[in-house]
Order: sequence, then structure tokens, then C-alpha cells
Amino acid sequence: MTDDILYSIRNLTVDYKTRAGIVHAVDNVSLDIRRGEILGLVGESGCGKSTFGKALLRLHDGPASIPAGELWFDGRDLMKVPMKDMPEVRGAEIGMVFQDPMTSLNPVQSILEHLTETIQAHEPGTSDAAATARAEELIERLGIRHERLNEYPHQMSGGMRQRVMISLALALRAKLVIADEPTTSLDVIVEAKFLDLLKELQEEFGLTILLITHNIGVVAEVCDRVAVMYAAKMAEVGTAEEVFAAPKHPYTQGLLNSVPNIDMDEIELYKMGGEPPSLLHPPKGCRFHPRCPQAMEICGQQEPSFEEIANGHRTACWLYQAHEAAARAKEAANG
Amino acid sequence: MAKLNEKNEAQRVATDGQDLLVVQNLVKYFPVQGGLIASILHKGKIPAVKAVDGVTFTIKRGEVFGLAGESGSGKSTIGRLVLRLYEPTRGKVIFDGIDLLKLKPEDMRHIRSRMQLVFQDPLAALNPRMTIGQAIDNPAAIHLSHLNADERRQAVLDILHQVGMNPPEAYYNLYPHQISGGQRQRIVLARALVTHPELVVADEPIAMADVSVRSILLDLMLKMKQEFNLTYLFITHDLATAKYICDRIGVLYLGKMCEMGEVGEVYEYPLHPYTQALLAAVPVPDPKRRRTTKMPEGEIPNPINPPTGCHFHPRCPLAQAICSQKEPEIRELRPGHTVACHFAENFLPKE
Amino acid sequence: MDTNIEKIPTTPPDEITWEDDLKKVGLLRRLLRARKWYGADWWFVAISSLAVLFFILVAIFPSWFAPYTPDTLVGPRFLAPNEIPAVSVLIAPSDSTISSLKDLAVDENADRPKVAVVMGASTSGDLNDTAKQIDADLISEGNGLRLRPVIERYDSLDSALQAVADGTDAVAVIESTEFAGVSQNYTSLREAGSLTGEVVSTSTKGFVMGTNDIGQDIYSRLIYGTRIALIIGFSSSLLSLFLGVPLGLLAGFIGGALDRLLSLVMDSLYAFPGLILAIAIAAVLGPSILNIIIAISVLYIPTYYRIVRGQTLTVKEEVYVEAARSIGARRSEILGRYIFPNVIPSVAIIFSVNVADAILTGAGLSFLGLGLPPTIADWGIDLARGQRFIQTAPWMITFPGLAILLVVLAFTLMGEGLTEIFNPKLRDR
Repeated sequence: MTDDILYSIRNLTVDYKTRAGIVHAVDNVSLDIRRGEILGLVGESGCGKSTFGKALLRLHDGPASIPAGELWFDGRDLMKVPMKDMPEVRGAEIGMVFQDPMTSLNPVQSILEHLTETIQAHEPGTSDAAATARAEELIERLGIRHERLNEYPHQMSGGMRQRVMISLALALRAKLVIADEPTTSLDVIVEAKFLDLLKELQEEFGLTILLITHNIGVVAEVCDRVAVMYAAKMAEVGTAEEVFAAPKHPYTQGLLNSVPNIDMDEIELYKMGGEPPSLLHPPKGCRFHPRCPQAMEICGQQEPSFEEIANGHRTACWLYQAHEAAARAKEAANG
Repeated sequence: MAKLNEKNEAQRVATDGQDLLVVQNLVKYFPVQGGLIASILHKGKIPAVKAVDGVTFTIKRGEVFGLAGESGSGKSTIGRLVLRLYEPTRGKVIFDGIDLLKLKPEDMRHIRSRMQLVFQDPLAALNPRMTIGQAIDNPAAIHLSHLNADERRQAVLDILHQVGMNPPEAYYNLYPHQISGGQRQRIVLARALVTHPELVVADEPIAMADVSVRSILLDLMLKMKQEFNLTYLFITHDLATAKYICDRIGVLYLGKMCEMGEVGEVYEYPLHPYTQALLAAVPVPDPKRRRTTKMPEGEIPNPINPPTGCHFHPRCPLAQAICSQKEPEIRELRPGHTVACHFAENFLPKE
Repeated sequence: MDTNIEKIPTTPPDEITWEDDLKKVGLLRRLLRARKWYGADWWFVAISSLAVLFFILVAIFPSWFAPYTPDTLVGPRFLAPNEIPAVSVLIAPSDSTISSLKDLAVDENADRPKVAVVMGASTSGDLNDTAKQIDADLISEGNGLRLRPVIERYDSLDSALQAVADGTDAVAVIESTEFAGVSQNYTSLREAGSLTGEVVSTSTKGFVMGTNDIGQDIYSRLIYGTRIALIIGFSSSLLSLFLGVPLGLLAGFIGGALDRLLSLVMDSLYAFPGLILAIAIAAVLGPSILNIIIAISVLYIPTYYRIVRGQTLTVKEEVYVEAARSIGARRSEILGRYIFPNVIPSVAIIFSVNVADAILTGAGLSFLGLGLPPTIADWGIDLARGQRFIQTAPWMITFPGLAILLVVLAFTLMGEGLTEIFNPKLRDR
């Protein structure tokens, strides 16, 4: 069973130092990414999903820090790797695709230069010819004619740039690609083709992909499993089919019901009250309880733990742990 | 409220169902380089971005008309042309029987009280140096000059209440950066509605809001439509949202209208290959119904040099020789449902 | 639908930044908690702001800080800082009418006057020199008077003074400070003027920054000079602002031919080396404070113009300006309510630094002798004066130079620091 899991993140917390105090942008989150799957990480802005994604590469800037957590990637804890060795891991083992490729591609380097430089940096000794050949083969596989390798990022469209980013990850045969909102800035047809590409890469190269997005339609289209984050915590994890067909966490339920479905006629969209909470002073107990239509008393007092409900389907909600709470209450009453 | 409505009621000539907005052969080209030297270099034919290239449609009073398309389709430009925030290169815009392009600047300013714009990015659309109260008061001060300061303030508070910002007084003196994104969009809506316009052009109004807030905003817009007897021109790239809120829809590709008709019609029987691809591409939040259709090859071409004939022909699976030579006419193939494609008949449902 | 939003929460962006929390806090709290939020930088701002306020105070109330008016001759010339203004003075009987050494001149055949000095004191050398000089003058005057004093050396101050008290010697020549110490013992004697005609200082402690080439207190001149420096600095900056900002707004907003014409003029002005342009204008206009202010302000108009024009061009493209057009606002309203308030912060940034620059330019102009009448106490003029004596009396140039440095530094630091506090979005942390 452990062979299946490529990246096991345990109890990860990422802190941001702000002028008004410390904010837990990611708060004690655990997640397993299985080898060869496309795992969707869904949440709204501010829930911590992007921070989480970056933390998996230990890519955090100034005010951010990781005070706690284990990052077991392919058998070793990345938290124990010295920071200076991390660049080897990034790119070669874990690749990242960002939302706006214009800012992650060097405007004065041609695409070919990007690729060959990356290849030769991680695998010194590769000759120019070998690197170029590999680059050409890769870019063709990703649907870009190899003659375009000599172009510069600004000459390419958004969709193409995203493909270039993926190619950089594939060039080094990374095992895991973390894609942070990769299609948010793309038109819908280009997005569809990009998602097709991800599926093809999964099949052909056995690539594992963590797809971070706020678009649950995208998640439903490509992901095998889904993880839902809310207010820096993990709310629910399960297979795509289960989570969409029978979501357990009220937030997931609300989210799924508030999005228009083009295949369905005249439905009433669910309106979720309130707003996502401030992470500086999150609500006591379950963070969703102020907006939850099924909130109970215990929800405002104690935070539910992230438990398994059924086969692999986990959630953090008192509705499913109510019996435990009742049992504890009974114990307290007796004892 | 009664006093506010008087002026606009008097201008309202028709009952529901009449044409509120008629757009005919609207064209907008943005020259790439201006100036004397450029025109010499290019021998008089300066390259231009053909953002809108001959678009015709009509919006009936009381309906929600959607304009859908991807980038380069020209939908946002049309939204602004309709309000005459850009000057059209050619074509006509007729609002409630009035030819907007013939109006003098002063008259155009006055008519703006009847047609307003809701923007995509509410933070960018609000002056950071004006309080919420001031922002909403501004159009009222310009157009509702028959009100004194107290009455105007009351009007602002009323509209704040109606868009769900309660208690209104609490928000009057706040600045845009002090409230959340969803709330800001309500403010933008309030600002657009305070003069009780008849037409509201909404340019991707929910695209930047959080997912869980979008349904609330859509609901609010529908509620306001009821309340104020509004007509919407709803510009979006998201066909799922368009299906939910629009009555009729027009699909644009590279500055031209491919297909137009009632939402139920177009979504059920899309006759244009591009519409079909677009509808298929929309991600469905249901893993059991994943897309199986293949997407068209290629990407949206450069609007400076659009393909000849039918703009879509390089990517169209059905393209024939005629498609690159002759631009397809707009034909009504089903009642109320028009399409611009030489071979659209192939997609008609077999009766 | 009742989404009653009671509280005012923020929706934190994916990257949580402190700016959002900061926005919820008002100005006073920001200032009070500034140290916690801005760290060491805040100290710079606090200190420099206090310094600027202090300078302004000095400029408004110079008499509180300066012991003398700038014109007063307070003592001997070229007195080093804290050097005791020891001057050789004549001590004569109280009832005598002697007021200078020349009064001792007598007919060439009469008895030579006797002058007491203390053995080992330097006064005897001065005495000799002065006497010879006066003697030479007398010879050329040719009315038969000569001054050839007999110098009698005593081994103590008391014995020298005693000699005058009991009439043995006509006068004694000793250091003024020494006499001050014992004057109460010799009530029959008085100080009768200085040996060389210099001003005898009333101060026994010396002057904290020394005296200049005509005997004025440098420190007092510095204090009074602050007033002129700040007047010039603020006035010229304000004038530049009031001219440059509207022109920049108009050029950016209206564009077209007006923009091209104005930009041409402004760029030409901007291309001139600042000081040279100021010199040219000041030379043409003539010396007066107003003319210096005008000359300097012309220098900075292009700066404001460029910045405001650039900002206007940017702000003009903002969505909220488009929104203003869509609600039917007139162009004047758009300019006044939508563009101007969003352009002004950038102006505030450069104003403070501009004042610093203007002070510097003003000092430069008066250093070169242009602009200010020499009767006004001004750092630039003092610098010019001090330059001639830089080897022998370096303090004359050092202190005005330091004053300029400190004031300019204070304004610059304050300006840059304040912008960070009032515009946290500008910081990149």
C-alpha cells in the first residue's frame, strides 16, 4: 500500500508573519498523493491551496515559514533536506506549473534555451546536441511544432506557454507535477485541450499531477481524486466520483450546489451565506460552522479531526463524528 | 422611490417585449500604430485589430441577452460600443429609438443615466480615493439633479440596502479596500442602479468573485432585474453561467456573430461548429459525464490578420473550399435561431 | 434574499499579506504601532521628522537659540571654537582718559611712557608690534608725536597691576580674561580698550563655533541662516508644485498638441544642469530673496510636471476612470475627482526631497555670490567666506557645511520614510 503513495504530506503547517500577527496559511494539513494519479486540490481564494502547493517544494518567500510537518516524497522527508539541496529536487523530481507562465518564463530566452539550460543544469554532461534533441522530441509530444523552439515567450499564446512549462517539468523526468491554477487564464477550448494533455501525460508517462484550482468543473473533468480545502484546513478527500456524487462535508455540498452545470436544466443554485473567515482570527471550533446550515453546538466549541468515513473518503465534520462526541459526553457524564 | 422613478418612467415609452437596443453592422477597428509616419510606411493601410467586424443583434426590453465568446471575440468591446465609451468605426447603435451616434456629447452624457456598466474587476472599477457613499452618490448627483442633498443620500442608502449591504449607513463612509470582493461587486452594481437605468451592460460581473459568492451575485442581479425592470446585456466567457441567467444568447468568434438565438435552442441544437466546440469544452462538475468530444485544432488567430472567408475555417472539421473564400451569411434556420455557416444545415435535428 | 452582512470581514487572498490587515487600521494607530510594524526604518523617520520640526522651530524663533544677532561683532576675528577670546587690553587708572595705545603718544623729546607687562606673556610681543606700527603712522603724520614705550616686565600679574595703580607705569597690557579675574581687587583701575582696536568680548568662555573673518559668532549666524534656508526651500518647492502639477495634469489628460508643446519646453528645461540654469536666472533677475526663489522654482517645475504627467497617463487608463465616463461625469469632474486625488500621492513623495534639493541649490547660489544681499545671514554666503580661510580657520566653512548637510539629510529621510508609512502599498517586503 505504501508503494502506491508518491508523496505523503503529514501535519503540514505553513505560517505567514504579518504585521498583525502570525497567520497559519496552512494549518495541520495531511494529504497523500498516490503514484500515477491526478489529484485535484480545490478551494476558494485564501483557503491556502496555493501556499500548500508551494510548500510541497519548500518554495516559500520571506514572511512564510514551515514550523511543522513532514514531507515524505518518494521515501525521504524533504523537510530534512538542507535548503541548499532543494533546487535539485525542484525540477528534477517535482515540477511546478504556475498560473501565469509569462512571469515564470524568461522573456529574453528562447524556448529552446529554457529547455536545454534546464536539462544541462540538472544533468551536467549532456551535450548540446543531445539536449536539443530531447527538447525537440518533448515539444512535439506536447503539441508544439519543433520549429517554434526558437521563439520567445512573448511570441506564444497563453496555452502554448503553459505547455512549455509542462515540458520543462517533463524534460527532467519529474515524478510529480504541481500545477497551480494552470488553466485559469486560458480560454475554455484551450483549457479543454490542456486538460486532455494532462490526461495523456498521465497515461503515457505515468506522471503524477497535483492540480490546484478553484474550478470544480476542471476537477471533475480530469481528476481521479479530490481534496477540498477550507480556511487553511483540509475539509474532505475522496475519489472524484464519491465526492461529487455524495459529498460529505457541508462546505463541499454547498460548493457543488452553487456552481451552474451546463448539462442540467433549470436548477436553483445554492447560495452560501457569509464569507470565508479571516485566518488571523478564525472561528472557534470548526471553521465552517458560522456558514454551515447543519451546524450543531459542538461545531462552535471543538474542531473536528480529519477522519476516514468510508474507503479512503475522509472528512473533518462533526456530523460523522457525532456518535463519538456523544460517547465522550456520556463518558464525561458518567465519570 | 416614487420621485426617482418619475423622470425615467416618463421616458419609458414601451411595455415589455419591445426593442430596447438595436445594433446594426457594428464595426470597431483599433489601429495598431497611429500617426503620420506609420501611414506613410504602410502606404495608407495601417494594420488594425479588427475587434468587432460587423455585428448585428437586437435586445428586447426586459430580457437578459448574453454575449459569449473567448478572448479576441470582441464581446467586451461591443459592451463598450453599445454605451458609446468607444466610438464605432462603422455601424449603428439605437437605444430606445434614439441613434446614439448622432447625439451631441452633452446629450450623450444625459442618456447615460439610462444605460450603465457593471465591470469585471470591482476593485479596479472603484476610485480608491472615494468612499462607497461618494462613489454611488456621484451618478445620482450628475443625473438626479432634482433631488436635494438629503434626498440623494437617502437614495444612496436605499440602493445600498437593496443590494444587500446592511446596515447601509455602516458602509457609506468606508473605502473600497475595506470591504471584501463580493461586497465590492455589489457596490459596483449599486452605483450602476442608483439612477434607475433601463439597460445594464454586465461585463463578466462574477468572473473575479469567489466561487461560493457567485451564485449570490447572480441571484442579486436577477432580483434587481425584477425590482427595476432591467434589461441586461450579459457578457461572459462562461457558457454554464450564461445558460443559467440568459434568455437569449449570441456567440462571437473573432469579431463576428456565429450563432444567436434563445438559450434553450442554441444549447440544445447548436448549429455552428464553433458553438458546438465551445459547449463541449465547458467543464462539467460531474466526473461521470466527462467530455469525449475532440476539440478543434489550433488556437484563436490574430485579430489583426483574421482568416479569409469564414474566420473559423482553419480550425473547423467541416471546412470546405468555399469556407476560405466566401464569408457565410447569417441565416435563420430555425425560428428565432440564426447562424453564420455554409454547412449549418447538417446539424439541424432530423424532424 | 437576506445576506445580512453584519461584520466587515476581509477575504484573505491566497498570499496573505500584512497590507490587508494594515488597511483596517487608522492613521493614529499606525503611527503608534509603527515601531512594531515598520521596524528599524521607523526610527529613521521618527528621528528625521523630529529634526525637521526642530529646524522649523529654529527658523521661526531664532532668538531662542542664538545668543547674538548675526550681525553683532562679538569678539576677535578668527576665533577657533571654544577658544577663549583673549585680547590684549590696556589697563589704566580709572580716572585717566586713555582708551588706546595711541593715547600714550608723546612729543619726541618728552619722557617715554612706561608700560607694564607680565613676564613671559605673549602680550609683550603684540605690544611691540602694535607700538611700532603706531609709531610708523605717527612719523608719517609728522606732528612730532612719537610712541616708543618703555616696557617694564614684572614677574606677576599683581605686581604689574600694582605698578599702574600706584602710578609707576602709565598702563599695563595684559590679557582681558586675566584682568576680569582680578578686577575687583583693583577698583582704581579700569579696562581701557583693546591693544589692537579689536572688539573686546564680553564672553569669557569662547564661542561654540568660533567667529568668522569679521568677528561675528558663527553659531548665531547658523541659527539665523536656518530661517533663510527653509524659506527658500519651502517657497521655491511650493511654487514649483503649484506650477508643475496643473501643467502635468493638463498635458496628461488632454494630450495632443498641448502635451507635445509642454513636454518639449519641460524637457528642455530639465536637460539644463540645474545650478547653471539657476545662476542664469538669478543673474538676470538680480539679487533678492524673491528672485532666488523664482530661479530655483523654475528648476523643479519640470520634475513635478514629468511625474504628474506620467501618473496622469497611467491613471487615465484605469478602470475607475472608465467607470466615471460611463456614469456620465464631465471631463472636469473626472480630472478633479478621479485623476487628481490618485496622482497627488506621488507628488507628496517628491515634495520633501525637493525641499532638500532646493535648500542645497539656494546655498549654492549664494555661495557663488548670486541672489542674496550680503547683509542677510545665509549658509551659502558663510560657506563662501569660509572658503578663503579654509587653511587657517577651517571652522568657518565646516559648520555651515554641516548645517546644510544635516537639514538636507533630515528632509530627505523624512520624505522617503513618510511615503512608506502613508502608502504601504509602495513597500516591497
